[in-house]
Amino acid sequence: MIPKTLLLELRRIVGERHVAESRTAAELYSYDGSLAKGPPAAVVFPADARETALVVKAACRAAVAFAPRGFGTNLSGGTVLPYGGLSICLTRLNRIRSIHPHNRTAVVQPGVTNLELQNALAPLGFFYAPDPASQKVATLGGNVGENSGGPRCLKYGVTTNHVLGLEAVLSGGEVVRLGGPAHDPPGYDLRGLLIGSEGTLAVVTEVTVRILPRPEQVLTQLVVYDDVRAAAQSVADIIAAGIVPATLEMMDAPIIRAVEESLACGYPRDAAAVLIIEVEGPAAGLARQAERIRALCAANGCREVRAAGSAAERNRLWEGRRGAFGAVARLAPNYLVNDCTVPRTRLPEALAQVAAIARKYGFDHGNVFHAGDGNLHPLILFDSRDPDQLTRVHAAGWEIMRACVALGGTISGEHGIGMEKKEAMRLVFSDDDICVQRSLQQAFDPLGVLNPGKLFPETATEFADKPHAIWAGADDLLSAAERETAVAVKAALADGSALRVEGAGTAGPFGNLPARPLAPLATGRLDAIVAVDPANQVVTAGAGVRLGVLQAALAAHNQFLPLRPALGLERRSLGGIAATGGCGPERLHYGAPRRLLLGLRFVDGRGRLINAGGQVVKNVAGYDLTRLIAGSAGTLGVITRLTFRTATRPERCALLSAVGGLEACEAVARQLLGSDIGAVFAAAAPAADASAWRLLIGFEGFAETVAAQLRRAEEFCRRARLAAVTATDYDAVSGAFAASYAGIAGRPFILRAGAPADRAAAAAELIQPYAACGALLVEFGFGRVMAGSNGLGLADWRRLSGGLHALAGHILLETAPVEFKRENDVFGAPQPEWRLMHRVKETLDPHGLFAPGTLPGSGPQGAAR
Amino acid sequence: MSIAERYEEIAHCNRCGFCQAACPIFRSTGHEAGVARGRLALLRALIEGRIEWSPELEAPLYTCLLCGACTSNCFPAIATGELVVQARAEYLQKVGRTSIHRLLFDRLLPHPRRLHLAARAAALGKNSGASRLARALGLLRVFGPDFAHAEEIVDSLPTQPLRVRYPEGIYPGQGAGPAVAYFVGCGVDVVQTAAGAATLKLLRRHCSSVQVLGTNCCGLPAFSYGDREAARRLAAKNLEILAATGAAAVVTDCSSCAGFIKSYPRLFSGGHPLSAAARAAAARTQDASEWLQSAPPAESGRLRGRRVTFHDPCHAVRGQGILSEPRRLLQRQPGATFVELAEADWCCGGAGSYALSHYELAMRVLDRKMENLKKSEADLVVTTCPACILQLAHGVRRHGLAVEVRHLTEVL
Ligand SMILES: Cc1cc2nc3c(=O)[nH]c(=O)nc-3n(C[C@H](O)[C@H](O)[C@H](O)COP(=O)(O)OP(=O)(O)OC[C@H]3O[C@@H](n4cnc5c(N)ncnc54)[C@H](O)[C@@H]3O)c2cc1C
Repeated sequence: MIPKTLLLELRRIVGERHVAESRTAAELYSYDGSLAKGPPAAVVFPADARETALVVKAACRAAVAFAPRGFGTNLSGGTVLPYGGLSICLTRLNRIRSIHPHNRTAVVQPGVTNLELQNALAPLGFFYAPDPASQKVATLGGNVGENSGGPRCLKYGVTTNHVLGLEAVLSGGEVVRLGGPAHDPPGYDLRGLLIGSEGTLAVVTEVTVRILPRPEQVLTQLVVYDDVRAAAQSVADIIAAGIVPATLEMMDAPIIRAVEESLACGYPRDAAAVLIIEVEGPAAGLARQAERIRALCAANGCREVRAAGSAAERNRLWEGRRGAFGAVARLAPNYLVNDCTVPRTRLPEALAQVAAIARKYGFDHGNVFHAGDGNLHPLILFDSRDPDQLTRVHAAGWEIMRACVALGGTISGEHGIGMEKKEAMRLVFSDDDICVQRSLQQAFDPLGVLNPGKLFPETATEFADKPHAIWAGADDLLSAAERETAVAVKAALADGSALRVEGAGTAGPFGNLPARPLAPLATGRLDAIVAVDPANQVVTAGAGVRLGVLQAALAAHNQFLPLRPALGLERRSLGGIAATGGCGPERLHYGAPRRLLLGLRFVDGRGRLINAGGQVVKNVAGYDLTRLIAGSAGTLGVITRLTFRTATRPERCALLSAVGGLEACEAVARQLLGSDIGAVFAAAAPAADASAWRLLIGFEGFAETVAAQLRRAEEFCRRARLAAVTATDYDAVSGAFAASYAGIAGRPFILRAGAPADRAAAAAELIQPYAACGALLVEFGFGRVMAGSNGLGLADWRRLSGGLHALAGHILLETAPVEFKRENDVFGAPQPEWRLMHRVKETLDPHGLFAPGTLPGSGPQGAAR
Repeated sequence: MSIAERYEEIAHCNRCGFCQAACPIFRSTGHEAGVARGRLALLRALIEGRIEWSPELEAPLYTCLLCGACTSNCFPAIATGELVVQARAEYLQKVGRTSIHRLLFDRLLPHPRRLHLAARAAALGKNSGASRLARALGLLRVFGPDFAHAEEIVDSLPTQPLRVRYPEGIYPGQGAGPAVAYFVGCGVDVVQTAAGAATLKLLRRHCSSVQVLGTNCCGLPAFSYGDREAARRLAAKNLEILAATGAAAVVTDCSSCAGFIKSYPRLFSGGHPLSAAARAAAARTQDASEWLQSAPPAESGRLRGRRVTFHDPCHAVRGQGILSEPRRLLQRQPGATFVELAEADWCCGGAGSYALSHYELAMRVLDRKMENLKKSEADLVVTTCPACILQLAHGVRRHGLAVEVRHLTEVL
């Protein structure tokens, strides 16, 4: 039931016809794509962000629970209302606001479907990377809610890797902007925390996404097998060989038959399994990758490999994959889909266990899944009209999750926890872990009205009879040092001191001046490399391990961690790199540290060891604490261990440099980045001659590809009449920017600015007057400027900070003298989202143990507010 | 037959939601009541006893365009349109049927002459502006509150129905092709008379003779409304007339009629005495665009310099599987540029009399069509269903586009 006065108010806000309250409406909104049910008392359809905020405000005032809803296709019960309340349907917010090819972003409302966005981008030569199989009926809001993935995510990453900014309505009705068109704004990654939070933290009303130029070429192959194990083994082998296909999808016999029956896609009906494998990128060298894949599949005894000869053939192959879930609907009235993820090398075992479990419970099943990510989707066929089958199918689902977790996996790779998997959270998280996540929920939603009954097990005792967590794992090389760290934190807690977490000590103190004196907490003893798993391309190591040491260990397997933090490089500790988001211009291609982090463990402000994320490349179980802690600069806890994904060492890393004016350099960079050339970075630094700049464009990968890329880039430079065009090779670990870093390091002021990509040059021009000679580097791809300065006055800082904000960007000081910090906030002018960061800090660190006062908005300007 | 008998089919909806992709109603309302998944959920809830037959079901059942796009997007290919029609029938039984639609389906549509009378009254009213079309064309009153807009949709009405100009009978042709029979749909008869005249001209040019049949309404409106019995009565009369004609082919320029006549065997299934006649009629019936394949008209050159596109009527593309035929004809026209319309096979919202009964919804569906039409930059849009022509022409006026709307036979 819902108070009459609230209904009246809702009708006033959105208009009579945009509120539905009837038996039929309750029935119609009681379900989503999952098996969960829960009818709302009313459904409301706001028209825009303003109305959404008013609706949220009204619901909060009446203390009525609500759940945001897109197209209701999620597979975990994320949009049903187990306790009744309000369904807030965002389908009317369905406009693409703007597309900016020049800075490679688009701004969309949450009710736009993924496919509508793709269709709008295609004529411009761009695409949005996440591509759930449900893309024609999955909204961007839903994608954000679930952190959705798709076939292409093997190469490009999931939703969280492609969203730059959000506008969201918080519990209470306040509208905030988190992030924006500029990368890496100061402070916590709240945007990352919100993505995948399944509508439990805020209602998203606008999304700023990153878009990419379409690749030059795509090669699609269908590989046919007579044996499922051989197919699964091929997947493991391809990953282990260091090839990164754009997609690597698998379907087994029952699915193949179902698809062929509903829509002939040309899959052989008698096959035991098929793989759809796509490689894409610059044309040069692509055929060789496809060939290597063929060879690996042949070595595993595949029956046949078919290459799609045309776009139409390719489409036909994909039609079947996209429609596989639906096709299964022909076989039985219902299916339960699990989306556990396992390490890729464990796929053969995982598939065998799933089959055994389905058999044990007497169900037919089929598999259609993102094999390259190890993300299973067993579909168990049943009839929901039979209560006995319903009970059995849930039991089978539970057992599959257990089995996958035992193999080192997780309970959900992309579909979310919702109602259906909330009790399984205990399989991957400890009570403490869950407690921390819950506390974050309470920080965002003190009233408990935002999508209640989701994500977390209801009470501690409810599932006490369930087999308990597998997460704990055995003691390893790092456990003792981790426990010592926790003891040290507890000791500090007891004696009331505050801590500064110290990594390798290569970077100065980060952030504003602490509110009270800090005692150093060293992480040097967390120096064990726990596990190098080259076949899965995953490594787990202690926070105190230096990057150089890790790189040496990985080199033995021809792998590396594609991170080249600007200052300190190999001497820096992994914890330090993660905590400060340290990376160089290569971030354009490889991403920030958080993009490479699969999971971490940290000691929180209560001295507890908390787990975040896991060991697998796709994981949406619970809130994305990994992203929150990475980049928190030691203000939320002490990171003790980290699990990164690694990459195969590129055959060749080469740099094309050319000299010209800033404008000319920027123009060439823009053309290059808007093309399908595939650069790793496009940066520029002032040349020796004061008025000229040196453009630096990097390429990494197969030698054949890099050679072709260099040739094309050279062509771009020559056409723009840039001078001194030369190519040089550089090292995969130390990178190409030693000279610039040397110029920046050691300066009393080190600045880092972010701006929308097409304003990077403007930002560089703004900063240049304050930069010391040879101490400036601008990257055009994601819009970053780094600079060292010998002196910066109060007025200078105001001007810079104001100037960057005028460009829709931001600027912060990574290093600044103590005297300067006394007078200034090193993160610049206060932003509304900072208030939320303080709330998060108070939640995870209630006693102000970790570097209190150093957060954005804690400096003199912030305090003054 | 009760909808409960189709529980098995209904239970096959897995709620994947893929039907949302191309449902014109859902895409304009965003409301679950307007899409197959929701309609099936309600039918299931009815069967499982969670909800009861009540007027609350009217909107979910009657806002369906029956365009069939959901089935095309549904892997188990659940025939939601068919289930909706069946549910409408049960709705009429259990919740009620109004006297006005009894007037329509029992008194007016079976009798072309009465229909003409109503249309003539309407035309007078419309063209002189003296009275509202709404009042004059009493048959439309059945469609409820949105009906006030009906007269906006129909721009002007011809004063003389086609059947008055060309009464039932055999007309000599100038061609050598075999004799054909021409089935005149109600829309062509009273509104799109120009299209009818053009069709007749084409038929006469190629055939030795053309018989204009004395048929009545094909029965589709009644069927869609859920009145299966009325539909059968109308169809039975047509079957009698079709059986009597000697022509090898029965051609109609209304894709909706063609589609429905082709589905007569389903209307008279299960050992119905008329099932053999229904099958024979279905086999002989051709949509004008099909017939034109075998009798390619002389290239008229009338489209020289034009930018032409084609809108697929639901009853042609999904109802009869006609897709390439009209395009082939248009592409062959000398000097014309054919462009494909985005979402060409999306319903325009006309859906027979839908636009008259659910004006606002139909307009939202139409707006999407017009956006696509604008993007195509065509100056002529061609189609093969009178209701579509009416709707598209209304859209063009509403949006102030300089686009001509024509029936295929008018431009060849
Ligand atoms: C056949 C089929 C195939 C699928 N394939 C894939 C796949 O390949 N990959 C994949 O990841 N998923 C897949 N899914 C799952 C589903 O489509 C995705 O989770 C999708 O992103 C959900 O979008 P939606 O618009 O339906 O969101 P909904 O189901 O409406 O909502 C999903 C969640 O997001 C929240 N939410 C929605 N809008 C907002 C908002 N504006 N602000 C805050 N929270 C919001 C909701 O509360 C809910 O928790 C598939 C589903 C089906 C049925």
